[in-house]
Amino acid sequence: MLVLDQVGKTYPNGVRALENFSARIALGEIIAIIGGSGCGKSTLLRAICGLDRATTGSVTLDYNAITAPHEKIGIIFQEPRLLPWLSVADNIGFGLGGLPASEREQRVSRALARVGLADKAHAWPRELSGGQAQRVAIARALVPSPEVLLRDEPFSALDAFTRADLQDHLLDLWADTKPTLVLVTHDVDEAVVLADRIMVMRPRPGRLFEEIRVDLTRPRDRSSSAFEDVKHQVLASLDRSLNRAVRPADNLLTVGDGI
Amino acid sequence: MTLDTPAPSDLADTAGSPPARFGRLVRPALGLLLPIGLALVWEFAVRFGYSNGRLVPPPSRIWQTLVELAASGELARHMLATLSRVGVGFGLGVLAGTVLGAICGYWPLARRLLDPTMQALRAIPSIAWVPLFILWLGIFETSKVALIAVGVFFPIYLGVTGAILDVDRKIVEVGRIFRLSGFAMIRRILLPAVLPSYVIALRSGLGLGWMFVVAAEFMGASEGLGYLLTDGQQLGKPAQILAAIIVFAILGKITDWLIQLIALPFLRWQDSFSTQAGGA
Repeated sequence: MLVLDQVGKTYPNGVRALENFSARIALGEIIAIIGGSGCGKSTLLRAICGLDRATTGSVTLDYNAITAPHEKIGIIFQEPRLLPWLSVADNIGFGLGGLPASEREQRVSRALARVGLADKAHAWPRELSGGQAQRVAIARALVPSPEVLLRDEPFSALDAFTRADLQDHLLDLWADTKPTLVLVTHDVDEAVVLADRIMVMRPRPGRLFEEIRVDLTRPRDRSSSAFEDVKHQVLASLDRSLNRAVRPADNLLTVGDGI
Repeated sequence: MTLDTPAPSDLADTAGSPPARFGRLVRPALGLLLPIGLALVWEFAVRFGYSNGRLVPPPSRIWQTLVELAASGELARHMLATLSRVGVGFGLGVLAGTVLGAICGYWPLARRLLDPTMQALRAIPSIAWVPLFILWLGIFETSKVALIAVGVFFPIYLGVTGAILDVDRKIVEVGRIFRLSGFAMIRRILLPAVLPSYVIALRSGLGLGWMFVVAAEFMGASEGLGYLLTDGQQLGKPAQILAAIIVFAILGKITDWLIQLIALPFLRWQDSFSTQAGGA
């Protein structure tokens, strides 16, 4: 259980990036965080994975306070961030330093096969296309089998085909161990396809505006009317989130911890 | 049978490679055209009596001087003297520059304390230290090595500090996410990230080392290639001066090439280096 309790972040220059974000996220749940730019989505992710400390509130995973990067929390950044001096295989195995070499090799080659890059094991990152590099980044985040995987809008710079392909790869890999998945996105379709709950955020200061539960059965059919309904609900919520006259508390459709 | 015929791309490859290889050999050779042409013209100008070649000796006379110096063992003695000065001075300069550069790059407080002084010292032309070094350290080896070390120090210091400061924060965060501790962070992230600039700093430091060994040997030496230069000037032997200059050029090039060669396996991941090496 990942518990976010009144998480807030004010930067030293006085900018309030995030305020009072609370959520309880069960193991294996998929949460999509959606909202315009400047609503604190990335700040929230950085606080969850311990790269930045929240200035108020707390993040706890199974009752352990997260104040620094934790072995059970992995993140896929917006950019692949591969280490250019390591081969693709060594990049994937980068977080497995503590394991014996044979097990490391085994996990890496399995992950390489899962993301369809078995033939690129010895290639340098510069030799990969953008989509391939992102696949390596996904594999790198997943091979240590984290309990919580965060994903910071990593496919936004890619073309639609590559993006769809990567979403498939991610879901495929996710299904292996079913970690908690927290995705930041601004793709409403993606949020509705993937998430159990969609958290709509509003900007300045960034805060939770509305939470929308998606109770559609999987796999979800993008052309079904139920899908369209949820999508409209999210879009309407996004619209309202930009209207400052509305107080956030009035709009919580469903507030729950998902258990 | 038909299956065994090579694919069209293979055919194109083999057909395309001889001209490509020809181009690779000829293109660098183009650069030699001018110096060799000039040398030949001068050689014949002297041989046919258009000039006596006393102040500008023809290539054959420089070659003859080199051969004589080599035969008498003089050349080896002078080369060894100069090489050992550059070696020790370069080693000390690299050591000091790397350590201080790493400290100032990694630790903001040290940078604030030390860097302004370093920048001020850097502004002093290194040759200006010569009189002081001679007073402090004497006229013999120590002052010479010190001058070379000071010359080498600054490019290394600057290169290391700058390289560490330039390490991409995003790459460092990857290290943090995988919970690398201080030392592991240095070994697995910072070191490989700064290596390309470090090699460049080493090469420019070495270049300055060769420059300052000449200056050091001008300030009174009884052996070394710089001594050959001053000796040639005082005794009016331009062929000896040119011979020493040529040896300097060759040694400088070889040592620079050695650094590149040693660094090559570590920098293969870079675009430029791997294309030079011709693939893994």
